[in-house]
Amino acid sequence: MSLGWLNERLAGYRDAPAVIWQGRACSYAQLATQTSDWAPILAKRGVAAGTVTALVGHYSPGSISLLLALLEARAIVVPLSMDALPHREEFFEIAGVEHEFTVTADDRWSHTLCTGPRRDDAPLFQQLRAAGHPGLILFSSGTTGRSKAAVHDATRLLEKFQVPRHRFCVLTFLLFDHIGGLNTLFYCLANGGTVVSAPDRSPDAVCALIERHHVDLLPVSPTFLNLFLMSDAWRRHDLSSLKRITYGTEVMPPSTLQKLKDAFPGVTLQQTYGLSETGILQTKSRDDGSVWMRVGGQGYETKVVDGVLWIRSAAAMLGYLNAPSPFDQDGWMNTQDAVEVDGEYLHILGRRSDLINVGGQKVYPAEVESVLLQIPNVRDAAVYREPNAIMGQIVAARINLNNPEDEDAFRKRARRFCREHLAPYKIPARIELTRADQYTVRFKKTRGPSAPDHQEKGLEP
Amino acid sequence: MPAVTRTELVALIVAATDDVLDTIGDEARAPLDETTRLFGEGGVLDSMGLVTLVIDVEQRLNSRYALTLRLADERAMSRRSSPFRRIDTLADYILTLISEHHG
Repeated sequence: MSLGWLNERLAGYRDAPAVIWQGRACSYAQLATQTSDWAPILAKRGVAAGTVTALVGHYSPGSISLLLALLEARAIVVPLSMDALPHREEFFEIAGVEHEFTVTADDRWSHTLCTGPRRDDAPLFQQLRAAGHPGLILFSSGTTGRSKAAVHDATRLLEKFQVPRHRFCVLTFLLFDHIGGLNTLFYCLANGGTVVSAPDRSPDAVCALIERHHVDLLPVSPTFLNLFLMSDAWRRHDLSSLKRITYGTEVMPPSTLQKLKDAFPGVTLQQTYGLSETGILQTKSRDDGSVWMRVGGQGYETKVVDGVLWIRSAAAMLGYLNAPSPFDQDGWMNTQDAVEVDGEYLHILGRRSDLINVGGQKVYPAEVESVLLQIPNVRDAAVYREPNAIMGQIVAARINLNNPEDEDAFRKRARRFCREHLAPYKIPARIELTRADQYTVRFKKTRGPSAPDHQEKGLEP
Repeated sequence: MPAVTRTELVALIVAATDDVLDTIGDEARAPLDETTRLFGEGGVLDSMGLVTLVIDVEQRLNSRYALTLRLADERAMSRRSSPFRRIDTLADYILTLISEHHG
């Protein structure tokens, strides 16, 4: 079977801890036993090669072993984290889910036979079934609002983990149904590392887990890192085990990166890059304090066309289940991410859809947010575009403060600060204060004129 | 009856203009009054300054007087005589909008 190498690899790690879940370690040998235990259960319930099966779970031994067993059975797996449950019906309908397994926090499981319409005629499913390969379906939010289902050939997606790499004890911060989260999981297991599950992703809980389990790799988002540094939790715990912090899923504000560098000297800071559609690419930051990085690595080609990054890879998804193929005839995919280029290094400016055009001059939110975050008493900042009769569009900002402050006085202070660091057209013409958090359950920034509803909005990295 | 007087409006616009000019760093300027030219020939603001002032005034009207007005729109832009020329013309324009929307 095509993922045989993975099972052999895992079996070889025997008594090493594979997963730490709720304080308890599960060894690779135990994980292997649990994985084999699933096989008769799946067979009895009618899950076979090509069966579209949803797995609702966490990074628990039960969920991880079930994921491995489903891949082994060559099922088409739809992983769902608890946080994605509001989208369950939509996702199930798009994917034509036939079976649903739910694994609870205490690792008890239940199985439901789904009665909704199936998608047997979907060409991508037929392709997987004909090849006899397991599939993975990951959802990303489209710019129009409807989620897009990226169908991966799991054999191709996971092939890159055959190359042996560093063994890490990693805290799984990104969720179970996120390309970044799955990437972390398989990277870690393929190299005999330890997955430390973090059911509570508050800065204090994360710090406590790092200290207790000597976590050395922390893959998170810039939004989380901003809160993490702001919380001071990192000062109250011994985090000396940390060797590497990786950040991805959104643009890193240089100001946050600088604070991180000052707080964790000696820790390698590395940007990650990837999309639900392409998988995660290998990256190398120019140096720890730099937002410039090299992107690519084995099996990935990149090019920049009109300031936008394109990617080609055999590990990319087969296509969308419910949208036209985004690949051109040569297999390149437009990432819609605007970049600056300096030799072999790239600087991600932001999604092209986030671009603000102020009277013909272009601004990306991340640059402005990075400056706003440096203003004293600012906890968080989200920048977005607003239509304007005079300039076409203007830069608008919503700010969270640490301590309450007069709004007029704050605006004046903020604009003065911006004036020192930004061209006049980049200074937010509208500055509003808000008390609502401006990030999703996945610790990704929400940008927009109305108060965020704190629902999941973006699934792509 | 409008909830705000013309005198109050002029004072509000003067304060907002002062703040915008302060942030631009234009410290050595003549004191502002209702005859101050805002935008156009002899105006104290450039286009970004005007955009910022207009939004600032909208926000102050909202927080002080619970008025929700859109000052810069197609209608304001297409007026033969721009309401953004001087502080008093802007105050008068706001009074017109208030009497239409809230009067």
